[in-house]
Amino acid sequence: MIAYARRSLRLYLANRNYVLGVPVLTLGLMVVISILNAVIIGIGTGFPLSAQVQDGFRSNSGVIWAIPGFLVSVGVLAATRNFAMALAFGSTRRHFWLGTMAGFVATATVTGAAAMLLLGMERLTNHWFIGAHALDVAVLGDGNIATTFAVVFVLVLLSTTAGAMFGMVYRAYGPKATTFLVIGCLLLVFVAVAIGMWQRDAVGPMLAQWGAWAGVIVGSGLVVVTSAGSYAACRLATV
Amino acid sequence: MTATTPTSGARDLASGHVPGITLRHVTKSFGATEVLTDVCATLTPGRIYGLLGANGTGKTTLLACIAGHTFASGGEIRIDGRDPREHAPTLSRLCFVREDQAYNDAFTVADILAVMPAFYPDWDIETATRLVRRFRLPWRTRSKKLSRGQRSALAIVLALASGAAYTFLDEPYLGLDPTARGIFYDELLAAYAASHDRADDPRPGRVAAPAPRTFVMSTHLIDEAADLMEEVLVLDRGEIVLQADVDDARRTAFVARGLDAEVKALGVGRELLSSRRLGGITSATIRGELSAQDRRRADEARVSIEPASLQELVAAIGLHGGTDQLAPHSVGSTHGEPLAQTHSLAAESESDQ
Repeated sequence: MIAYARRSLRLYLANRNYVLGVPVLTLGLMVVISILNAVIIGIGTGFPLSAQVQDGFRSNSGVIWAIPGFLVSVGVLAATRNFAMALAFGSTRRHFWLGTMAGFVATATVTGAAAMLLLGMERLTNHWFIGAHALDVAVLGDGNIATTFAVVFVLVLLSTTAGAMFGMVYRAYGPKATTFLVIGCLLLVFVAVAIGMWQRDAVGPMLAQWGAWAGVIVGSGLVVVTSAGSYAACRLATV
Repeated sequence: MTATTPTSGARDLASGHVPGITLRHVTKSFGATEVLTDVCATLTPGRIYGLLGANGTGKTTLLACIAGHTFASGGEIRIDGRDPREHAPTLSRLCFVREDQAYNDAFTVADILAVMPAFYPDWDIETATRLVRRFRLPWRTRSKKLSRGQRSALAIVLALASGAAYTFLDEPYLGLDPTARGIFYDELLAAYAASHDRADDPRPGRVAAPAPRTFVMSTHLIDEAADLMEEVLVLDRGEIVLQADVDDARRTAFVARGLDAEVKALGVGRELLSSRRLGGITSATIRGELSAQDRRRADEARVSIEPASLQELVAAIGLHGGTDQLAPHSVGSTHGEPLAQTHSLAAESESDQ
């Protein structure tokens, strides 16, 4: 079982710059942009940034927006192009899915590790010497190494598995079904946010108590859903 | 040539498995469109098969069904006695790089070749390197930047170097110039011969000798590739209408050239597949075999007789759409009942009058 799945993992990792390097580079770029932002603000307010400005920086959620776009495309490409290649080279659907999922875990682990490394550097340099916060932010657990890794790991995994689910549904059911799925997912997000707003008195304190781990828990649940969805579609996907 | 190794053959017999590919009443529909209506065939291992037929007859669909790229709507597909669907040990012995094969856009030729040994334990790096050099494939070019001919060349490299027991070649020459096609033909024969050599002389340490490789090639350049094929399967309207050794297939029809009246006289009662007339000279492709008496009569009438080419035969089947007209003459055909001839020289003679 593992030997066959490893073949598709090798296929996923065939271009490591693409699946391991680019996500780390994106993370690094996000840090650079955050520093540049801080420099621009510092030109007006003076260096290092004041405690009040740094507090504002703690709500920087650049990492949440910077990573998913590219990684969703990685998932889609894996589910469409790599799938076609794996089947051409004699893989089963089951082993392709297992190998590719292992690849997604590899991408998530490397990106999570890079986030931890960058966070360590950020803290060692007293926030890049000027008080710029890129990874020592609320959404990543306010400088907690373990939380930072967990949030980035789950975010990467959610992005890639969601992309794989869309790609697999496209392979199995065609473009119309994929469009409906995307619209359905957006509607679900809208409904979830609406319910959160409606029940904010109950939800708010709970989220505050859990902090960044709330995102990890919800994200992990979604990873299970997208992974199961991609597997179900993979079993019916054709080339 | 068709024999499997004693070891594998004994194992197959013991387990009741039939070596090779067996297709029984395979059907495939896309919505309301029936592409494969009733495909029956048996492909014994260790041969080179030509899968022939007009555009849209379902050649690629049939190969995709066998390789598990798509699901047959009905019927039964067995490879070495096994249902290949999601059966890893069986599928891992297959290689089917499609004519329109999708590659990951981020992958270079080198990336793709580097991953192949993971899929194929018998991956032949020397063959791959030699073929890349002979086809002048650019190692560092991304797959999406490859030209049509380069994509075909890459597919050939992957297929031939894979060492896969069952290798499907889907229109492998598309976009290739004559020189590159010549390279392909040379290398296909070399890979085929090498697999037979290995089967006859297994490497020390191997538990069982590898069975010689089976190649199934769909192609439109029939006459050019005819010498490579040992057996042909002609697909028409979703069915295999002819399965025969190449020489037997050629013998199912002949070309007669001579004076129009003499050719027509020779063909009376036989089926006319196609004809061309230039002045008083007619060249007609006629179905059927000639007796010694027919040949003497042809000599006397100065009508030259030659075996029909495979190209002429396949084109004629496509033109007639007459799957059942050729069936009685097929070897190993899935049809059995002789049917009425719908287009004969006799009829043409009548219509001329």
